[in-house]
Parts: sequence; C-alpha cells; structure tokens
Amino acid sequence: MNTNDLIEDLGRGLEPVTPLRPAGRRAAAWSIGAAVYLGLLVVGMSAVNTRAGGAGAGFWVSQIAAVVMGLLATRAAFVSVVPGLPQRSRVWAVVAAVLWLGTLVAASPRDFDWTTVLAASHEWVCVGFILVGGAPLMGVLAVMLRRGAPLNPATTAAFAALAVGALANVGACMSLQHANNAITFAWHGGIVLALVGVAALTGHFVFAWSAAPSRSIGENHAGDGTPRR
Amino acid sequence: MTDALLPSDSLGELMRAAQQGDGASYRELLKTITPRVRQIIKRQRGFAGIAEVEDLLQDVLLSVHTVRSTYDPARPFVPWLLAIVRNRLVDGARRYARISRREIHVDEEDVTFSEPATNDDIGEVEDAAALHAAVRALPEGQRQAIELLKLKELSLKEAAEVSGTSVGALKVATHRAMATLRRTLSKTRE
Repeated sequence: MNTNDLIEDLGRGLEPVTPLRPAGRRAAAWSIGAAVYLGLLVVGMSAVNTRAGGAGAGFWVSQIAAVVMGLLATRAAFVSVVPGLPQRSRVWAVVAAVLWLGTLVAASPRDFDWTTVLAASHEWVCVGFILVGGAPLMGVLAVMLRRGAPLNPATTAAFAALAVGALANVGACMSLQHANNAITFAWHGGIVLALVGVAALTGHFVFAWSAAPSRSIGENHAGDGTPRR
Repeated sequence: MTDALLPSDSLGELMRAAQQGDGASYRELLKTITPRVRQIIKRQRGFAGIAEVEDLLQDVLLSVHTVRSTYDPARPFVPWLLAIVRNRLVDGARRYARISRREIHVDEEDVTFSEPATNDDIGEVEDAAALHAAVRALPEGQRQAIELLKLKELSLKEAAEVSGTSVGALKVATHRAMATLRRTLSKTRE
C-alpha cells in the first residue's frame, strides 16, 4: 500500500481515544488494588499473627525491600508503555531488586546447607501462592498496560512480572512461616527471577501489535503492524 | 535522535484534535511528520532500499495510530514520536537480522545462457550427434524406453502400452539407460 493511501485510510473514520492518565497515577491505582487484594488473600489464609510474631528484624527489612521493589517495578512498567518518558525508574527497580536479594542473603545464617534449602518442599506452597495468587494481579496489570506495551513488550512484561512477583512474595511471606532467609532467598528469589525471565521471553506474544486496541483499520493491515501489499 | 525542524507545539495540537476523533487534523499531522520520519529512517538505515524505508515508515505510522492514546497532551509531541521511531527501527533491525539468519546466500553461478560455450552452435551439434550415437548403442529395451519417454515425451502409462512392458520395467530401463548415456557422453567429452 502506498504511504499516502495509508494516511488517508488511517484518518478515515478515526475514533476518539481517551489519553492515558499519568503513569505514576496509574501505577498507584494498581498498587493500591494489589495491596487490598493481597491483604484479603493473606487474611483469608488466616496466618498473619503466627508469621509476624516469629520473624526477626531481617524478615521485616526484606519485606520492606520487596514492597519498594514492587512499587518501583510497577512504576517502571507503566512508564515503559508511554513513549518519550524518562526511563530512570527501570534502573531504580533493578537496584531495588538487587537490594531485596541482598537483604535476604544478609539475613541468612552463615552455615546454611544448600541441600536443606533445596529440599524445603513446604516452599512449594509459597511458589503456588506467588503464581496462583499473582495471576489475577498480572491479568489486571496486562490489561492496564496493553495500549502502549507493544512498543517494548519484553521490558514491559519483565517489569510487570517483577512487580507482581515482588508483591505476591510479600503476601506469601506474611501467610506462611519462614524461619530461614536462605530458603526464602533461594525459593522466592528463584521464582520471582524465573517469572521475570519467562515474562521477558513471552512478552511479545502477550503484547503483540495485533492484540493492541485502538487499531480500527485491521482490514487493510497485517496483524504485526506491517502493511499488507 | 532529536529533530528541531518538527514544530512540536503545533503537532501536539493536531494530535490533541486527533485524540478527539478529528480525522482531518490527524491526516494533516501524519502528512507533516511523514517526510521527517522518512528522512530519519534513511539516515539511520543508510543501506536500506526505497521499499524497506517505506515499510519502516508505514510501521511507524501504524504504531503512532495504535498507541495514540499514550500521548499526553501536556507533554511535547516530538520526543513521543521519536521514541516510537526509535522503537520501530530497533524492531526493524531485529526483523532484518532474523530474516538474514534464515536466508542462505547463493553465489551467482554461471547459468546456462550466460556461458559462451552453451551458446556455441557447433558444440550443440556435436553433443547432439554424440547423443544420437549413444542412444543407438543402447540395448533394445533401454533404447525404446528413452525414445518413448524422453524423445516422444509419452507418459509412463502410454509408453508401457506402446512397448507392451510394465511401468516398473520402463522405469528401470530408463534409469539404466540414463546412467549408460551419462557414462558414454562423459567419455566422449574426454
């Protein structure tokens, strides 16, 4: 198709669109919703008191670091879908992720045994909590991000997964007993990083151009944004 | 990647109108940015042909269309546009690399009609004469198979009916005949 024809085609029957609200405000809205949802989930598992009582200062430092990481990753995900915005929040989210892992390592016993850590089968419950409990959060986040996400699908998906993983990890830690931070480091850190990796690899399928809304000229163009000739 | 020549304020106004559904403003916006985007693509992809540049340009325009709701009217238009151009150029480069990896480069070989020897009438006659001689020298069954299938260009079924042999026997005879002819003609050339 000729470029002038394409322009005429795009202008014909143009539908109005609502500009996205500022990234920070959207990130805050999702974070508040996620906090309420995870709070209900934790209360539903009715184990909050057991956890808070038995945990030391290291536990709470890790939780605070995870919450900060989740909030920064959420902001980075929302900023990544708006072209032209400064991308500093990505750096801060990565720094927060490193710090979170650092707090877990720092709070781990010096003489821990990796065999024991890897054999901690009760951690599968946490993995289930993060994956199953985090799935609705990821779904909502994907819907909120879909309009600009095809521009940077891998980055957007990775930060979205980091945000969900971080906050769901806090929910899991609040719901179940975690006596040893080495176990938390290996299992929770592992599953969050795995989530980020999978999201980065599959992001372009989820946030494909063909799935993006506000494309009203599908008849004339291929799904990947490439004009049909 | 910056572009001082694009008037960000007026483009922002046009995009604001486009977000409200004003098709005329949208067309004007796209027509204004098209030559500049084309120029940027040409500058960034110096090796690209005209068709590839137009492909990338149309990709950019479609992307602008798809993500037009992400433009914040309170912010300048040009950085928003240039970020989209940059993204699409990176995508285009990745696509190009992916396609190149799958393609096999074939060196230009001397094909039939570009080589003088293949257009040499004398050579052709000599080859034809050698071929006739070689065919005549074939055993009866093989010669008949070649005549029916290769010279008269009958189908296997028709040739089988004419010769009174089976299709399988004809295939075997043809295969053997071709092998014999190849040997004989290569000896003749030497």
